[in-house]
Amino acid sequence: MTAESADAEGWQSEVEELRLRRAQADALGGAAAVDKHHGQGRLTIRERIAGLVDTQSFQEVGRLTGQGRYDKDGRLLGVTPAPYVMGLAKIDGRPVAVGGEDFTVRGGTSWSGDRKKGGQGGFVEDLAHSYRIPLVNLIDGSGGSVTSINRRGHSVFPGVHGFERSVQLMGEVPVVCAVMGTAAGGPAGRAILSHWSVMVKDSSYVFAAGPPVVERSLRQKITKEELGGPGIAVEVAGTIDNVAASEAECFALVRRYLSYMPQNVWQLPPVANTGDPADRAEDELLSIVPRNRRKAYDMRRLVRLVADKDSVFELQPSYGKALITCLARMNGKVVGFVANNPMVYGGAMDSRAARKQTHFVELCDFFHIPLVFLVDVPGFMVGRDAEAAGTLREGMRSVYVGLQASVPMFTVVIRKCYGMAGMGTTDKNGLDLKIAWPSAEWGSLPIEGGVAAAFRREIEAAADPAAREAEIEAELRAMASPFRTAEAFGVEEIIDPRETRAYLCRFIDAAQARLATSVGPKPKFGVRP
Amino acid sequence: MARLKIKAEVTGSVWKIEARAGQKLEPGATIMILESMKMEIPVVAEDGGTVAELHVAEGESVNEGQVVATLAE
Repeated sequence: MTAESADAEGWQSEVEELRLRRAQADALGGAAAVDKHHGQGRLTIRERIAGLVDTQSFQEVGRLTGQGRYDKDGRLLGVTPAPYVMGLAKIDGRPVAVGGEDFTVRGGTSWSGDRKKGGQGGFVEDLAHSYRIPLVNLIDGSGGSVTSINRRGHSVFPGVHGFERSVQLMGEVPVVCAVMGTAAGGPAGRAILSHWSVMVKDSSYVFAAGPPVVERSLRQKITKEELGGPGIAVEVAGTIDNVAASEAECFALVRRYLSYMPQNVWQLPPVANTGDPADRAEDELLSIVPRNRRKAYDMRRLVRLVADKDSVFELQPSYGKALITCLARMNGKVVGFVANNPMVYGGAMDSRAARKQTHFVELCDFFHIPLVFLVDVPGFMVGRDAEAAGTLREGMRSVYVGLQASVPMFTVVIRKCYGMAGMGTTDKNGLDLKIAWPSAEWGSLPIEGGVAAAFRREIEAAADPAAREAEIEAELRAMASPFRTAEAFGVEEIIDPRETRAYLCRFIDAAQARLATSVGPKPKFGVRP
Repeated sequence: MARLKIKAEVTGSVWKIEARAGQKLEPGATIMILESMKMEIPVVAEDGGTVAELHVAEGESVNEGQVVATLAE
């Protein structure tokens, strides 16, 4: 070949090699491994990314990474791709960093090139950090493997560089972790370091260690499902927030979650036109709270009646059920609803509800999402089990985080508002605007529990102690009318329940200017109790 | 025939049983009412079904997560 003809060809042969190398990357762990993976009802990492992000929006980074095989003349025979796929993509038109392990290559175990691609730190997390865009991790990796001792000739000190980046991201950009397969050890830990996490029913598991390790350590025989399926991880432990019925639903949930989030803490959440009038008044609200104080009602329905139509997205619906936490919109602006659920322990705050509230309030505070408390809380949960579960500590931690938060909060007392848990629903650092329904009642503790203790001598001395107790209760209850507190401006307003939406929308709209002037990271001082 | 175990969401006691064994329930119908934290907490058949078995009696204590009824679809 002459020099001229070689030049005319340009870099065609190298481009051919590039094409071959890209095809090797796209083939993942090979047809047999992919078939096996599909056979378990699971999508490949490339199918997952395609299913998650906007059509054709994925720009891969590091497509050529892997282990090349060469003949004796140094010609390429093939490449085993690195078991991690990642890059830049868009969700609802906004850039995101996305990555995940490729289970079809060595079970998605960690890979050591010159630079980490992702998983714990790595390029994809550097991308989220440097460009201040959300990070989505699609976790399906087995983490470290003891075989690395063989390869390296030494054992590796636990923890890799990268986890510090994962921690840093928690104060900068939304981080979503979706557990798509079995996550143990490092990948399980990575899933927890997120603002929101989700797993897939009948196909994902998360635990510190899987059944073989548990059997060796504790001689317990236990299935993957019993150890770390959604029934444990989501409903009992609350280590993962939500569960999806399928991988497709999982991607829809991730997209939905991110639709409420700003790109980073330096920006405000996106405003959407929901077409729902801010002054919509629902007659049903007038009678949703039963006059009989022993009867509970459907707080989820109440939230849906107040928020913009079809805008409610509940986080952790099956954990800490005495409390309901939802992202939603009010007149198009993103808000976080924190609502006590009278159907579970009368809305009393137990340790689980407290943990849920702590996380949610902190989440909304960091991402400049105003909070609306729909209050019906008789106080902290009581009883031996509740004390043993550390309700006081979890409850006060929740109160502490609420009192540190600086995002605007609105308190709407629906029925009961008592004690420390009641105090935790107010905006003590801000306007402290508390509005109440006519059904509201409040105090340090509910009258029926307090009378017997506070008036013990008087009751015991009476001719008919039971009658005297009832009499005192009736006297106090008359004075407990919310209207009397409103006279004293101890609560700022009593409203017709049907006015709730319009009233809140006015204040949430007005708070936007304040939100815009207080963006940026929020350093927190002090030690949580 | 699929059988669905209905669990108590709260620790408390059985205050009133509203459904009979064999009864067909509409979605959202109340199976029984528990008493917990001085409140009446309904146990509902969210998707409806036929009551195959009631595992508790009025006045009995129940623990959170305890199966209180079994429904058949």
